[in-house]
Amino acid sequence: MKSMDLTQVGAGREVRVSRLECAPGTCQRLREMGFCENALVRKIRGGADLVCWVCGTRVALSARLAKQILVEHVDGRS
Amino acid sequence: MKKDSSKRWIAVIGNPNAGKSTLFNALTGLRQRVGNYPGVTVEKRTGTAYTLHGEAIELIDLPGMYSLSPRSPDEEIALKVLQGKAVGLPRPDAVLCVVDASNLERNLFLVTQVMELGLPVLVALNMVDVAEAGGVRIHPDQLEQKIGVKFIPTQAHRGKGLVELRAALGQRMSHAGERKWTMPAPLAAAVGQIAAAWREAQPAEIRAEGKALELLTGSGDGPEGARKLALAWRERFGKEAYDWAAAVVAARYAYLRDALGQAGVGHGWREVGWTDRIDALVLHPVAGWGVLAGMMMALFISIFSIASYPMEWIDAGFSTLGQLVQAHMPTGVFRDLLVDGVLAGVGGVVIFLPQILILFFFLGLLEDSGYLARAAFLLDRVMHRVGLSGKSFIPLLSSYACAIPGIMATRTVEDPKDRLTTILVAPLMSCSARIPVYTTLLAAAVPAALFPVWGKAAALLGLYALGTATAFALAWIFRKKMLGGSSPPLILELPPYRMPAVRTVLLRMWERALIFLRRAGTVILALSILLWFLSSFPVTSGDATERLAGSFAGQLGHRLEPVIRPLGFDWRIGIGLIASLAAREVFVSTMSIVYHVGGQEEGLVQAMRSTAWPDGSMIYTPATCVALLVFYVYALQCLSTVAVAKREMGGWKWPAFMMTYMTGLAYLGAWMVQVIARGVGA
Repeated sequence: MKSMDLTQVGAGREVRVSRLECAPGTCQRLREMGFCENALVRKIRGGADLVCWVCGTRVALSARLAKQILVEHVDGRS
Repeated sequence: MKKDSSKRWIAVIGNPNAGKSTLFNALTGLRQRVGNYPGVTVEKRTGTAYTLHGEAIELIDLPGMYSLSPRSPDEEIALKVLQGKAVGLPRPDAVLCVVDASNLERNLFLVTQVMELGLPVLVALNMVDVAEAGGVRIHPDQLEQKIGVKFIPTQAHRGKGLVELRAALGQRMSHAGERKWTMPAPLAAAVGQIAAAWREAQPAEIRAEGKALELLTGSGDGPEGARKLALAWRERFGKEAYDWAAAVVAARYAYLRDALGQAGVGHGWREVGWTDRIDALVLHPVAGWGVLAGMMMALFISIFSIASYPMEWIDAGFSTLGQLVQAHMPTGVFRDLLVDGVLAGVGGVVIFLPQILILFFFLGLLEDSGYLARAAFLLDRVMHRVGLSGKSFIPLLSSYACAIPGIMATRTVEDPKDRLTTILVAPLMSCSARIPVYTTLLAAAVPAALFPVWGKAAALLGLYALGTATAFALAWIFRKKMLGGSSPPLILELPPYRMPAVRTVLLRMWERALIFLRRAGTVILALSILLWFLSSFPVTSGDATERLAGSFAGQLGHRLEPVIRPLGFDWRIGIGLIASLAAREVFVSTMSIVYHVGGQEEGLVQAMRSTAWPDGSMIYTPATCVALLVFYVYALQCLSTVAVAKREMGGWKWPAFMMTYMTGLAYLGAWMVQVIARGVGA
């Protein structure tokens, strides 16, 4: 399945986290907030900084961080 | 703090936005004590609650956190309290975890970690109404069975479930028991070995496995053998590129998903709701800024229009009090001390209480409604340009109320360089103590008839903007040029919009009013008496001005005058500047004493306007008033801020730097105002 970063996903689409490529501390916080590998994420707002729905909450991310979150589309759910 | 053996200590912990502070307020009411770490999220707040059987228990409201792997100073404080390592606090007897029922999976992640600390745990299943409105049905007994701790449904903002919670707090809470999530194989081997080494050194240790995991994460301490093993395993995992920390998070979430599924709790995708509709406007790249500007303007207009009524009442009250004292007390030094010292000094500051309360009321509404997080998100890009992240916005905004909670709120900022920069520029955000100075000087600069309410609000906004713009410019210099490196990227939870809990906001205002009045009754009262003494003695002959000139304060002011003369300031302003080194608002009370106006704002403004240089030219020209305003925008005239900065920065180096650069900036700014004014012939 084609992998892309979170900034490349359209608003309203649902994706699955495939890999995190950020600094270890940042990766750990992302995972604790629900952005684990294989977690389902829905992008709510795009733009320079973005908002995602993950684990039952809205989480805002800066674009430079979103570029380090690699995701793949979920078949039949977007 | 010495542990009171008759009372149990219970730590209250939870994710940010889980309603933890609302529940804490509901349980403790006015029986709260605010200690030396401040704000809803960073203050050390303790309070007494009562169980259903009348047993008094002490609750400790810990900072909101997502996990027990601390990444910011406030999370470190919370972890230390739970581990019993916090100086001055006993190890809690139990933990009350507050979870957002509409977001159980993420909230229970922290609970699984707390359960492994070996303390009895009780969970308040808060906001069950929100969860049910979202179609999530929760059965507390099934959750208890799956997770292994007791769950009590609550709606803290409506006071529901508190009786059941008080009953449960009164019962002997059981320990959480064994770990329920499955440890991944490579990690299980490491933890098993470290735990065995621990048991060998300390056979009585019953939670060796939990402590072994803490040791592996680097957050714990233990016997030498166990520590060496933990280090060896960390190195081995590093060489094998095995991300064991990620594996632990994934294993916990996998367990929680499974357990919640079995307990019949799902967290299906919710559809677009009203929070998203409001966000569409509030987070819009153009309209969002309009909303932010509108909110700030509304705040400043309220400070002037709504606050003017209670301010008039306080003014009239102090005036009547002064007249009563003068009418019923014989003439003498003691009457002068009461009228010109105590009433003028304290009255001159207490009058501004309504404006300060309005500021805190607005900040409380913005925080509790969920808007503050959006503002931080909106400002992240701007903050990023000066080298900071959006997280520095909340401490800076809090500094509009007072730099002390603002500096303490920097404990939520994870990056040490970001934190240092935020502390260094926080006092440039105009705090509430500057409001009395600004109001008085604005009134002195332009007659009231020419300066309607909206004009004053706009001028005040201008002063706030000047401080803010300078703070951002200096943050850029400090963060990007002096300290180097870049700030960590923003990760911020945006809570759903909620109606602010009026009780919580009012409690916070009450607390701030007490702090302000305590300050007026102690520091400002003492300084007022000292100033009255310095400005009344030694007694010399002549008119009031000559007597003041001959006093100790007058002599001090005269010595300072050559230094401040280029700024257009005379020796009387010099007295005000020296006196307000301890606290800015003292400037107004000092001038009230200097001009013998008995704590009335109107009298002070008129006295200032009629003051002239020996050559007959007026002192308080618009240029001098603006120069003095600019001086107060920049100068670090607050000893409490310096003391807090020293404590937070762990030494005198940075607070000394802060004082030097801010005083230099204040002098330069005021001087430039006079140069420009002369240039344009004002």
